[in-house]
Amino acid sequence: MTDPSLPYDPADALRRAILLATPGLSRFDPLPRLVAYDDFSNGYCGWSQLVGNYEDTLDTMLPGYAQHSSPMLSTLSHWDAGSHGAMSGSYALKIASQPKRGAQNVTIKRLTFRKPTPIRFEAYVTYKPEASALKLGDEDLRSFGFLFDLQHEHTHPSPERVMPHFRFLNAHGGKRRECWQFKQGSTAFVEIGDENKTRSHYHLADEDWQDLPGGSQTLCYNEIPTKVNWTYLRFDFDVVSMRPTGFQCNDRVFDVSDVDSIRMPAMHNLWNMLNFAFFVETDTDKRAFLYVDSVCISGGL
Amino acid sequence: MLSESHTAVVTRNETWRGQATSEAYEAGWAREAVIFIRALKTPIGPTARGQVEISPDGMHWVAEGTAFDFPGAKNNLAVARVCHFGNWLRIRADLEEGAETTILISMHLKA
Repeated sequence: MTDPSLPYDPADALRRAILLATPGLSRFDPLPRLVAYDDFSNGYCGWSQLVGNYEDTLDTMLPGYAQHSSPMLSTLSHWDAGSHGAMSGSYALKIASQPKRGAQNVTIKRLTFRKPTPIRFEAYVTYKPEASALKLGDEDLRSFGFLFDLQHEHTHPSPERVMPHFRFLNAHGGKRRECWQFKQGSTAFVEIGDENKTRSHYHLADEDWQDLPGGSQTLCYNEIPTKVNWTYLRFDFDVVSMRPTGFQCNDRVFDVSDVDSIRMPAMHNLWNMLNFAFFVETDTDKRAFLYVDSVCISGGL
Repeated sequence: MLSESHTAVVTRNETWRGQATSEAYEAGWAREAVIFIRALKTPIGPTARGQVEISPDGMHWVAEGTAFDFPGAKNNLAVARVCHFGNWLRIRADLEEGAETTILISMHLKA
């Protein structure tokens, strides 16, 4: 949307006109530089499973990571109504948990940045438990969410690894919550192996989540487990200040000015890291699914 | 545009006993799947018999018809090649009492 307080910029007006006339991109509000536009009807687009760290044997992988598996390209195929399809095209990226209470799964896209700038992360997503019962199941899925995993450039005077996390807590312990949460703390690092080269921490553990002030929201769940509606997400993060600057879900815009991230000293092998991830977790012994139709990641020039 | 090709690791370092299955994997976009099962540790007991299963919904499963022996030694491979599988795929194994095997299953899919 054009800010009427700013002077008319013909180049910006042309850019906006092209964006608005481009199917697919028209539903996003990207910053000037398109870093990635991933429509999963075009394939996996570099979104892979989040594998845990290990050394010598996979037995050293933390249990939280050991449960992760590869995402899928799904037509949202259901037993009663067939393929639902994506928001555009046939396929969405699907992240599925195992059917065990508290189980999680994560998909990740790994980049680095050329220059620290503000980053905008937009997506259309939907979520559901597996339709294994002829019931609404609206309290079966615990949460879905997203995170960034960032690290300053090597020349930064006080480099940090910074990990903003947000989740929509749908239900917990069978109790409906319907609120957005964020994280500033994480489980402790564990040394992996005995060469002092590899460490790991399960930053998606169920602990340390805090309610986002004013973050209650009731999303469109629909009326049976096999009907889904796509939901818009936008998260803005300034890689210069390493602070969140905006968060929107559909019509709601949330104040994140007092929100911080998981922070830790920079690690020796993660310079300029610019990672993005989605996750889903189940609150019952039923699989939970997060579907992502498309993602637009943009930044400053 | 090149045809899609994808490797999905659906089971990693899981120890299977009794009747066990991989998690359901959707691959309706793929025309063929080559599925490798690698033993990560020395299997215990008689070699398991494995089979490919397909499903209309990811919840109800039927044998696809492809069956094979699981790998009998650490780092050995078993393989299954399937096409005309619809949308959903998984691997099932039946192990005798006391038998166990720790495995890595990867699905290699092509449009």
